[in-house]
Amino acid sequence: MRPGHCTILLIGLLICLPAAAASAEDKDRVDDPAAAAFFQEQVLPILKQHCFECHSHQPGKVKGGLVLDSRSGWAKGGENGPAIVERKPDESLLIQAIRYQDLEMPPAGKLPAESIRILEQWVAEGAYDPRVAVVTQKPPAPKSQHWAFRPLRKGAAPRVKNARWTRSAIDRFILARLEDQNLEPVEDADRYTWLRRVSFDLTGLPPTPVEIEAFVTDDSRRARETVVDRLLASRAYGERWARHWLDLVGYADQVGTSNNVFAQFAWRYRDYVIDALNNDKPFDRFIREQVAGDLLPYESVQQRAENLVATGFLVLGDIEIVEADKEKLLVDIADQQVRKVSKAMLALTVDCARCHDHKFDPITQRDYYAMAGFFHGTSTVYKTDRGVWSDVHLLDLPESTSQQAEREASQASHAEKIAASKAERTQAQQRVAELAEQLKDSELPKEERDKLTAERDKANGRIGQLNREIPHAEFFAPTVPRTHGVQDKQQPVDMRITIRGNPRALGDTVSRGFLSVLSGELPDIPADQSGREQLANWLTSPDNPLTARVTVNRVWQKLFGEGLVQTVDYFGLPGATPSHPELLDYLANGFIRDGWSQKRLIRSLVLSRTYQLASLHDERCHEVDPSNSLLWRMRRFRLDAEALRDAMIFVSGKLKASSGGPALPLEFPENVGGLSPTDVNPPSFNILKWRPGQELERTIYLPIIRSGSQPGPAQLRNVFDFPQPSEFAGRRATTAVPTQALFLMNSPVVREQAVSLAARMQTEAESDPERLQLLWLVLLNRPITEPEREETLTFLKQAGDQAWTELCHAVLASNEFLMRL
Amino acid sequence: MTDETLTMNSYQVSRRELLRSAACGIGGVALSSMLAGGTEAANPLAVRASHFDASAKRMIFIFLAGGPSQGDLFAPKADISRQHGKSIKSPVGDDGQIRVGVKEFLPMAPVAPVKPRGDAGLMISDLMPSLAGVADELCMLRAVVSDNKAHSPAALQFHTGHIAEARPSMGAWISYGLGTENENLPSFITIHPPGDPRIYGSSFLPAIHQGTPLRVPGNANEAAITDLKDPQAQPVAQRRRLDFLQNMNQRLLSRVKSDAQMEGIIESFELAFRMQAETPELVDLSAESQQTQQLYGIGGGPTDRNGRACLMARRMSEAGVRFVQVTIGGWDHHGDIHNALRGSCAAADKPIGGLISDLKRRGLLEDTLVMISGEFGRTYWSQDLSGKSPIIKHGREHQQESFCTLLAGGGVKPGFVHGETDELGYQPIAGRVHLHDLHATLLHLMGMDHEQLSYPHHGRDFRLTDVFGNVVNEIIA
Repeated sequence: MRPGHCTILLIGLLICLPAAAASAEDKDRVDDPAAAAFFQEQVLPILKQHCFECHSHQPGKVKGGLVLDSRSGWAKGGENGPAIVERKPDESLLIQAIRYQDLEMPPAGKLPAESIRILEQWVAEGAYDPRVAVVTQKPPAPKSQHWAFRPLRKGAAPRVKNARWTRSAIDRFILARLEDQNLEPVEDADRYTWLRRVSFDLTGLPPTPVEIEAFVTDDSRRARETVVDRLLASRAYGERWARHWLDLVGYADQVGTSNNVFAQFAWRYRDYVIDALNNDKPFDRFIREQVAGDLLPYESVQQRAENLVATGFLVLGDIEIVEADKEKLLVDIADQQVRKVSKAMLALTVDCARCHDHKFDPITQRDYYAMAGFFHGTSTVYKTDRGVWSDVHLLDLPESTSQQAEREASQASHAEKIAASKAERTQAQQRVAELAEQLKDSELPKEERDKLTAERDKANGRIGQLNREIPHAEFFAPTVPRTHGVQDKQQPVDMRITIRGNPRALGDTVSRGFLSVLSGELPDIPADQSGREQLANWLTSPDNPLTARVTVNRVWQKLFGEGLVQTVDYFGLPGATPSHPELLDYLANGFIRDGWSQKRLIRSLVLSRTYQLASLHDERCHEVDPSNSLLWRMRRFRLDAEALRDAMIFVSGKLKASSGGPALPLEFPENVGGLSPTDVNPPSFNILKWRPGQELERTIYLPIIRSGSQPGPAQLRNVFDFPQPSEFAGRRATTAVPTQALFLMNSPVVREQAVSLAARMQTEAESDPERLQLLWLVLLNRPITEPEREETLTFLKQAGDQAWTELCHAVLASNEFLMRL
Repeated sequence: MTDETLTMNSYQVSRRELLRSAACGIGGVALSSMLAGGTEAANPLAVRASHFDASAKRMIFIFLAGGPSQGDLFAPKADISRQHGKSIKSPVGDDGQIRVGVKEFLPMAPVAPVKPRGDAGLMISDLMPSLAGVADELCMLRAVVSDNKAHSPAALQFHTGHIAEARPSMGAWISYGLGTENENLPSFITIHPPGDPRIYGSSFLPAIHQGTPLRVPGNANEAAITDLKDPQAQPVAQRRRLDFLQNMNQRLLSRVKSDAQMEGIIESFELAFRMQAETPELVDLSAESQQTQQLYGIGGGPTDRNGRACLMARRMSEAGVRFVQVTIGGWDHHGDIHNALRGSCAAADKPIGGLISDLKRRGLLEDTLVMISGEFGRTYWSQDLSGKSPIIKHGREHQQESFCTLLAGGGVKPGFVHGETDELGYQPIAGRVHLHDLHATLLHLMGMDHEQLSYPHHGRDFRLTDVFGNVVNEIIA
């Protein structure tokens, strides 16, 4: 749509205003609870019951051009002009009509006298109608001067005095600010510390002794680049960075809000994210696929499948599925999607404007419904036949010919197995019947009776087993590959403002569009589409400076401990201001110029001199800048739940590679219950049995329960600040609570790793001093110092039989292992 | 108002408490929500002065999960009993809600006699004799209102104020507002918590304020708190290991000179170590006299588990834990409420009544606020899921439009009734108390202004009561 449309809309609004604003006296009544109660309890039910059928915004229900389901509706009136003249019932067409004076409404029969009296009284008292208070929102905000909404600025890196210190433009931005304050950065980190830092940051795993050796002996000028390129090319990179993205998605192996159901194919989305990052899929493309993958053109079966899987972003995790009131359900889901998109991509809380204009940011209620319209035109769930439950759509994925052949073969063999099991069961049942018949014979000798009884019991046991296995096999029979995703509605339409989120109290219709503070244009949306494709394009277009800023800021935060904007999920007015605004824009511009390549962005950041700084204290700098916002040193932080668990298993030498796939081991019938289609939400599950080696896979591949403790090997997540899937968190909380210390001191999980690690030390080195050298390299990624060696040898002498396990346990729980310096 | 009155976002520790905490533990400064920027560590659990003089110093919440039937237990309606089993006109408007098992509205009389008790004459069912015995301590709210009909959102709202989003639980807010009185224990403990951890979560508040789950051990092999015991090493060995690692930690700390996170972790290990020592003693109920155990119904039978939980709650509370919750489930009586409610009462009555009498005789009730409530109540008309049972087999549907909450001690009026509903026990007609009002009142009794107790998050100040809530002054003694 053209610029200027907004103005027209505005004028339209203004025309409505005089009627809506009415007299000053009426304005005072806006908050009059008596008038509001009278309207809600007396007037509205009459309108609803007798008038809406022909006079509402529902398609095909605008008889005579008159609508009565919003204030502007009757104020503007229909073909015969305004329906109500406030305080003048006798002059109001609506009152005349219900009195059957001229028009006769409703046509089915005159209203009861009491109802007519109520409507007369209502009009006489000024026709208080709260449904209009919402429509008279202030016009869309003017261009804001807030930094986050301004276009990206193009600027070169500043001049610095000590140019020799700098290695890249990034360093010049940082150093310039330090020099302004007459500060100098601290010394560089030693090679060991840098390698440990970059390995954890890029892959979530520590370096091995071999890698350490290779790096510290590499004299070439490209030694660091060699390391970074190796890390970025490893599968572990995607496994690490996918989790950062999943934190923004509320990803889980279940969907729901208050209640949860099994999301059988959630893992496809998780694997999609890992692959996208490992393939360095351009980030703008990555975002477009997740918002509108189902609508994007494609060149291959595989690309189409990827596009569909990507829309899992919109449906996985926090989605309302249990709500008797289906209209409310749909507006709530659209709300959840607005919330997710605006937080993950724009770092805004657009959802605040659902009930009122945003309190702080230039985001109007109109903006909210313009954006919610994209999702209201999207179908996310379908009603199941179980009570009030809905479920997220399962979309069939296209297959290549070979995939199809393979799948059909596995379906056939699975069906054969089921048939064989059923045949076996029938046979066993027949045999049980025969045996029962034979056992009726009272003259059977004891020996024979015992033999037959034993055979009968065995057969019954087998029947019981088959009774569990067959429904399980039927439930989990192989199908066409499927994914959780969205599709457009048949006839997507613009959304109407819902007053205070109530889907039945409706205000004006709002055209689908973008945030007015960033874009004055309305998109051209084909009549049969939701417009998500247009939204996706806008999110990643040059008109919108937020997405690139938000993305580079989050990447910065993961590498430097805090974002350049500390409130990584909130760029609104009360959010933090950027510590280095020019650098932020420089990075955002570079990111776009480099084709939205996350790997190139990360590469440039970790190869900077700034990233190489030690994390040591400096008294003078600390005095001037105690929070280190100018980055005179590197920040230290504790490893997150995933890095901590993965590293523990990695150092004990047991980490098992995985290529993804279903997280929940529901192929074991003993883990599954409630398979009947009549159960509330089949299947219920309780993981008693894990796949062999599953407990040694990286944490990202383990199941995520939406509300409840994380199971089995994933339990470390319960303790170390893993964000609940109901939260979207670009920045995790880092706490130090006693339950974590108890876990590190006493949990059998940690002890097990200590035992494995001790065993590894025994086999890989000959003597205690050599073992200590190795242990320090493996766990802390640096050589042991002389005082440490002495102290530790003394400890080993005192600690008895379990000395090595005790030592490994202690170092695994030490701050130097828990933290990345 | 005293000099100690403070705004909640700029806590200072009272001098007395500062001295006290400095005398305890390593350095006296404990756990820290870590700000990676190197902000100085402050003890987030240090005792903080309340906004004004509080009548309650600590709180125990008995959560009757599932929605106990207030019509059967506390607030019978003559009209309902009179019309028992007769179809009446729907009292429920067309609110778009699907009602399962309610084809016609059949008022159903209480399943057991409900009689006036004590001097004040509070109505309590024969099914709750022990609670009836402490009727004169109770303050009964009969028109409490919440916003959702389904268990999970309703329970979430009861604890956090919000139906769907994760927000801090009231125990976390109270811990955040007041800190802990025992530096060897967490400030918020939840015994037998419901499955959804958001119910006792701290959400955006520092995680130290989240509820620490605790189960009452059924046998010697069970721990009250996960990983509380070291199954592998003797205490001496464990301490030796801990000393070794703390020594490593100290060396690293001196190398980097100052680091709030590292100090926080060092302190958390020491608190954990002290908890190992303190908690087993606290959870060891055998220290209590036979007579006390009997008071709670401990010693086998249906009351044993809840009795242990309630006695544990008293011990924790007495030891200085700011907020203790005990969850007692089994109140979701959609069918055969005649039998089922009897069973639930038989398991819960003695433990709850025992707790109140025990607090009373120890002089603790005065400044301990006790709340007993479900996430909602139940309808006065019956529900028949099968569609063909006789009324004697019927149950009752959820009702959030009005239900009963009991309070005791901590500065509420004893032997007092507040609120009234219509003749069908459906809509409040007087003394309506929305959950937000209830939360505001609880905070008030704990000495906090619910509008001041806020936390900045995502660009605005959040409160337990969101933008709502009025203190119910009528019930405050």
